Amino acid sequence: MSILIDRNTRAIVQGITGAQARFDTEWCLRYGTQIVAGVTPGRAGQTVHGIPVFDTVARAVAGQRVNASIVYVPAAAVKPAVLEAIEAGIALILVTAEYVPLHDIVHITAAARRAGACLIGCNTNGVISPGKSKLGGVGGIDPQELFVPGRIGICSRSGGMTAEIALALKAAGHGVSTSVAMGGDAVTGMRMVDYLRLFEQDEETDAVVLFGEPGTANEQEVAQALHDGAIGKPVIALIAGEFQERYPPGMSFGHAAAMIMDQSQSATAKREQLREAGARVASSLEEIPELLGAPGR
Amino acid sequence: MIPLTEDLTKAWLRRMGLPVPRGYVARSPGDTQADGPPAGPLVVKALVPTGRRGKAGAVVATDDAAQLRAATERLLGAQVNGHRVRAVYIEERIAIAAEYYVSFFLQSDQAEILISMRGGVDIEHIAREESGALVRERIDPLSGLSPWSATELWIRAGLEGPVLPRVADATSRLYEAFRDADALLLEINPLVVDSDQRVCLVGAMMGIDDNALFRHTDWLGRTTVLPGNPRERAVALADRSLAGGPCQYIELDGDIGLLVGGGGAGLYQHDLVLELGGRPANHCITPPTSADTGKLKAVLAAIFDNPAAKGLLIGFNFAQMARADIRIRALIEVLDERNMDTTDFPIVVRLFGAGEHAARAMIGQRPNIHYLPRGASLKDAVELIVQLTAAQRSPAVRMNP
Repeated sequence: MSILIDRNTRAIVQGITGAQARFDTEWCLRYGTQIVAGVTPGRAGQTVHGIPVFDTVARAVAGQRVNASIVYVPAAAVKPAVLEAIEAGIALILVTAEYVPLHDIVHITAAARRAGACLIGCNTNGVISPGKSKLGGVGGIDPQELFVPGRIGICSRSGGMTAEIALALKAAGHGVSTSVAMGGDAVTGMRMVDYLRLFEQDEETDAVVLFGEPGTANEQEVAQALHDGAIGKPVIALIAGEFQERYPPGMSFGHAAAMIMDQSQSATAKREQLREAGARVASSLEEIPELLGAPGR
Repeated sequence: MIPLTEDLTKAWLRRMGLPVPRGYVARSPGDTQADGPPAGPLVVKALVPTGRRGKAGAVVATDDAAQLRAATERLLGAQVNGHRVRAVYIEERIAIAAEYYVSFFLQSDQAEILISMRGGVDIEHIAREESGALVRERIDPLSGLSPWSATELWIRAGLEGPVLPRVADATSRLYEAFRDADALLLEINPLVVDSDQRVCLVGAMMGIDDNALFRHTDWLGRTTVLPGNPRERAVALADRSLAGGPCQYIELDGDIGLLVGGGGAGLYQHDLVLELGGRPANHCITPPTSADTGKLKAVLAAIFDNPAAKGLLIGFNFAQMARADIRIRALIEVLDERNMDTTDFPIVVRLFGAGEHAARAMIGQRPNIHYLPRGASLKDAVELIVQLTAAQRSPAVRMNP
């Protein structure tokens, strides 16, 4: 099983002729991901690592089964690119760009929701179901070194921290079912609780590790779902950014959303909400495996 | 969010076809404008990007040229809510029959509108004293705010009669102005109905999304205020002028310089430094994948130029998209440009992934630079820099060269 992607995922890459898209596509292909077409308007007929390039998404998907798109276009072009993917019926859309205008994010989030499509990001470095498929830059040039197959789900506000969590799990003998970087913006397509609901239904996931940050209601929603019983699997949460509480509110220290607007969205408050709802709260990466217990229990 | 001054906000609203009073900017007492408002009842306001100017005495009504000149002279150069007044905004005074309140804000997955019949006063006051006088609603980004939905909202707020469609129509178009400006906040207070039952947007304040400035280049450079700290200023200037994603440097009161990567890993390591008894000298953001290292070097220079910094932690996530050697080359260049001897300035590096071998070779035998072995955790790196900086701080254990 795993969530979101597996061996049957067939993806296109929007903006495939850009530098980061070329780099990531090469390593996705080497990992075994099925990338079946690329899109860059005006570049039809070219190829990138042997993948044919088309002018539009509709042309790229014509006559074949495609269920995912990785969107590498710059922030200014994200909105039309995502709307194009939605219109072409693509069910899973990843957006890598950071600093996308908030009105655009809000629009594509609503459009994806209406169409029933899963929108990951903006500002995701990708999704990996180890041993099966990966979309995006996650894992870099050596995904096997970081992500080994296993039964723990990862959902992180930070792409980089998915690698650190996977390493901490690996050191303790655990592997990963699926790891997703949901993006660190104030508004994201899918929210943390949406991923948890998918992991809850996944037979190959036993527990989920979350990485959270100050700002937004994502962790509060997870706490609510735990409290309501919608999530029954063990949830281990690492929430960073407590230091911000020492400085004046409104100072920004990283991801756009990681700005405390409201005390209920501070790292300390989130840890408390999750703990009260039954999650296990880790204070460091090293503590995560301890809280999970022995593998294969 | 970048707050716009009143002249820019009103110019935008006018461009969007909305009714605003005629007005102009004056930078000296004699300034006039050919198509400005005619002599007569005017309002002079300090042109600073802040609310509550009325309370601060920075809004003055004038009836003739002598009063106008006196008010302008008094306001220019004054301090208003922490801003020095370099210009005033002079506009016609509208004959007010009724005052309403409208605002839009975007901070979650749907924009929200807040309206009230009680305009002209502080909205926080209304929220506290008579929250029943406020109507708040979410706006679906795909359908926007139609005139008929706006009409429904104003009926709920208590408005009726011939002004209802006029106010509702202005409200619907204000949402479009808010969205098209990429605003995160637009507040109209008061929205005035004059003695001829015409709508006029008398008080207007707007804050826009930094990420959308590429669509509003005429606002670029007119909006951002450079920080006072010279190192923060140098990084802000580099951010403006050099290629690549945004960079930022915020100086704090500790002595451990931080060059920490990514949103998440940066937050995590900063927490750990404090938890282990160290105090960061700064926080920073550098472009994650840029091959152009100008901004990275600007941040490194700021860290080394901070007289309080006694050591540096370079801690990044296991590299998935960026190359380690690109970052270390920038470090070496900045050290060499400064002829900096690191014997008394410990640097801990936790940087793995593509280009790592070349990065380690570049560090070579430089003193007191500790490139941690592959597999060391972020916490290992934090522990070491906290320990080395503490030793540096205490003269008793200071090593002799």
